[in-house]
Formats: sequence, C-alpha cells, structure tokens
Amino acid sequence: MTAFDCVIVGAGPAGMTAALTLVAHGVRPLVLDRGAKAGGQIYRSAASSPLPDTSRLGPEYTIGADLIADFEACCANHEPEADVWHIGDDGRILYSLEGETRQVEAREILICPGAIERPMPIPGWTLPGVMTAGAAQVMLKSDAIVAENAVFAGSGPLLFLVVAQYLRLGVKVAGLVETTPSENYLRALPEISGALRSASLLYKGLSLLQEIRRAGIPVFRNASQLKVLGSSRAAGLSFHSAGKQKLCAETVFLHHGVIPNPNMARALGLEHIWDENQLAWHVKRDRFGQSSVPHVSVAGDAGTIVGADGARHEGHLSALNILARLGRISQDKRDQLSRHPIRELQRLSKFRRFIDRLYRPVEVLRMPQDENTLVCRCEEQSVADLRAGFQDGARDPNALKSRTRCGMGPCQGRQCGPIVSALLAKWRNQNMEDVGYYRLRSPQRLLSVEELSRFKTVEPTRCETSEAAQ
Amino acid sequence: MFRSLRETSPDIVQVTVNGQPVRVPSGQSVWSALALSGQTITRKAALSAEDRSAYCAMGVCFECMVEIDGEPNQQACLRRVAADMVITSQNITETSKALHDGL
Repeated sequence: MTAFDCVIVGAGPAGMTAALTLVAHGVRPLVLDRGAKAGGQIYRSAASSPLPDTSRLGPEYTIGADLIADFEACCANHEPEADVWHIGDDGRILYSLEGETRQVEAREILICPGAIERPMPIPGWTLPGVMTAGAAQVMLKSDAIVAENAVFAGSGPLLFLVVAQYLRLGVKVAGLVETTPSENYLRALPEISGALRSASLLYKGLSLLQEIRRAGIPVFRNASQLKVLGSSRAAGLSFHSAGKQKLCAETVFLHHGVIPNPNMARALGLEHIWDENQLAWHVKRDRFGQSSVPHVSVAGDAGTIVGADGARHEGHLSALNILARLGRISQDKRDQLSRHPIRELQRLSKFRRFIDRLYRPVEVLRMPQDENTLVCRCEEQSVADLRAGFQDGARDPNALKSRTRCGMGPCQGRQCGPIVSALLAKWRNQNMEDVGYYRLRSPQRLLSVEELSRFKTVEPTRCETSEAAQ
Repeated sequence: MFRSLRETSPDIVQVTVNGQPVRVPSGQSVWSALALSGQTITRKAALSAEDRSAYCAMGVCFECMVEIDGEPNQQACLRRVAADMVITSQNITETSKALHDGL
C-alpha cells in the first residue's frame, strides 16, 4: 500500500488551516471529514447556509465562510462524509464512506475532531425534548430549524451565543437560566488584564450578554438545583434562583462548556494529562501538537480547548512541524514560520484562562446529585448502580465498566466517561490522574458486517506522494 | 415545537416517517424530518424501554438512532434525507434483542 504523506481527520478550523499550510508547501493531504461540507461544528454550513441571512449568526460565522472557500479552492483531497473509526499507530486509517469500508495509510496523521459538549447530568436529562445548546446551533446552521419557546440552561459562551442568535432571528425564548455562581466573577477578576489583550473578544462577549438583557426575556442568575420536569417527555425546568422557580417548555437546551472530543485520541492510546483549569483531559503534546506517538499530531479543541481562532493557529503550527518531519522545510524554517502563530496562541490563552475561570462548571452539574439520575444514558446506569459497583470492588473506570456495563453502549462512553472518572475520584478521594479514564478501542462507531465486507484500499495518486517532488 | 426558518425551498423530497409522508428540503438531516413532522421519538432506552429522542444532534450521543430503509441503528442526525426514504422509530431493547437472538 502506498502511503499518503499526510492524512488530516476533521475539516474544522484546525484541519482546514493545516491543509492550506501543507498545500502552500507542496504537500497534498487527504482530508477525511464526517460532515457533508467542510467547516466542522463551528463553521458548519457557513458557505452553504439554508438561512436567508447568515449575518445574524455573527461575524465569526462569515469569517468561517472565507476559510471554507480557500480550503475548497485548494488542491487538498477532501473526502466528505468519511467517518473515521480506526487509526492505528502503524499509520493505517479505516473509515466508512458510502456504505463501504475504506483503508488508507499515512506517513503523518493530524487529528482534529474538535470538542464535544460537557455532559450535564441533571435529573431528567434523558427525557425527549432535552437537548444541548450545541444541538440548537447545529440544527439552526445546517437545517435552519429552531425550537420555539425553549428554555436554555447552564453557562458558557456558546449558550449565550445561541440565545442571542435565536433572538436576532425572531425566535421566542422562554428563558435563560444561568448557573454561573457569583463567586466565579471574583475568581476571574485576576485574569482580566490578560483577557484585555484580546479586547475585541471580550467586547463581543459583553455585547452578547447586553443583547440578551435588552431583549427582555426572563433571565435567572446564580441558578441551582436544576431539574427537568415531565415524566415521559420534557415539560419544563424547575430550579432555584432567588427562590423556587419553574419554566414550562417542550424543549430544554443544556450547556456548560465543551471538552476535547476524546475517543479518537484515546483509542490510539495517546498519553493524556488532566487539566485542573479546564477540568478536562488534554492530549499530551509538544508546542507543535505532536503527541506521544511521533507521527500523530493533534490540533484544535481535540487537544485543549482553544476556540476557533486558537484552532486555526494550532492547525498552522502542526502543519509546519509535519512539513519539517516530511523533509519539506528545514527545522529553522519551521521555527521561523512558527513565531507568529505561537505569539497569537499565547495571547489567546490569556483570554481563555479568563473564560475558563468565569465559566468554570460547578461540581453539582458535573456530577449527578440525585442517586437515581442516569450517568450512562445508553445502558441506563444511575449513580446508585455505579456506587454499588464501586462498593463491590470496581475501583477504576474499566472495572466499573465490566461490572455495570456503564460505557458499553453505542456512544462508547462519550457521555458518561467524564462523569464516571469524576465520581470515582470523589469516592476514592484521589485525583483524576490516579483514577484515569476508560480504555477505548476501535471501531469508534457501530459497524455492520455488510459494510465490513465491502472493503477497498485507497492509494494516493502520484502527485499526492513525496515521489512527485523528487 | 420545531419549525423551519427557510424562506425558499429548493428541491423537496418526500420521505415517510413512521408511515406518514413528510416533505423536506433535500440534503437536510433525517433528524430534521423527524423534528419537523413532530415525530421526535427516535428509539427506546435499552433496559427501561422509555422513549428517547435526539440529544446532541452532532453524532456524539447515539440517542437518535432510527431505522432507515429497514436498516437499524442509523444516526438520524448524521444521515441526510433522500427521495422515498423510509424512516421509522426504532423499538430495539435488551429484551427484544435477546428474543431476536434466540437467547
């Protein structure tokens, strides 16, 4: 099998920028992306929106359309709707496309699967009608679908952005239930001077909040004790905010931040470190995004939450390092070209630190407080079920998985993984590093035998390998 | 209640959701066909058989698995509608699976 010089997984801001950088230096990458169009979640459908007027989604979205246009015009081999489900440390990648299994080999692999929303296991979070703020945004961007009179609950920039977008588009919002505790404002204060170095980002955030306030929808602050109402489907949300409150709604959108999308990096066995500032596992990387497996790099939110701007710079940096590893540029050249993105990332990280402090998710929303609340949505395992497993001797995530089936369902622990590790750390009174995370394996999706039997190896054309340049 | 903000409708395709004909713009997600037709139950929970519906809409949670043209376990948020597609809510649970496998 002839190998591609570089395969990029994910066509969001990191993947697209990396592809453009590689192409600019004569390397044609293969870009595998699950979306029908390039853009990732943040720039989803930015270049092909079904909405009559995308300017109401905000200026970042329009910037995304420019990046997509550049990416689509470049000579990178873009394979949309390719669902990657295995990456081997031997450079082999398996993915599903059009009901077939396809195989490619790569000398260098850059994975950019982005972020997922942090699970928010409040009572009733499995009821039909409960979705995430990210879901609201995806439905809006790709299908122009909105939920009328919904409740939005939680905290973080994405939650406020979606509410503002809904209001601008004339969609009624039943209320915003904000869970940011008041003490977070004090904790974030020392970071404000660093955040001011990204004044435009700070200003954008503040104007979003002002916009929501001016719209006159019910806004509840410092909310706690959230509970979804309804028995067979969502009927609203009850909570405490200056007394007992209740909002009726058919749809409840939850959100309290994002975490790196873990499964691809975990199944590859990349080393991880627990980050107490972001309360998330980060892939251990050098400043170019190179992981513990040298020919595998990770860029963007999949490594550390850096946001769309940060993801672009990380994609750029990883591509420069890959070019040096492929012998296309010298190390000196790499270091020289890296100065600007590294400086920009340092500036953005100061803003991120402020956001991380201000919207640090509270423990009561990261870990279910009610013994009967489900932790594992797929296999329906509650806190009480897991506690019983723990008391029976299952002290780490994998032992608990074998004992209770928690994390064995179709989502492969994507929802319960962070909760299970946090609960075990609490019960064992140890830190997250000691507890660890599920050991994950390929395939990273449900496969059918029919699909596996339709097997095809994809090889690069001459201009997609290094030989072309030699 | 879900609604569409589209002002112009390009190519429309007809699909059926649990036997009911639904007209949706081509290229939209299967989940959007369910949402717009008001039939938002996608599958049953594995043990309790309680109703479930889409949660993340971006391929992470697998709550939106439905049957498409007779094939089960299809993520409605990731698949796109095509003319004459037959979409049905999925009733598979641990018990039905065991029965099916003859266990």
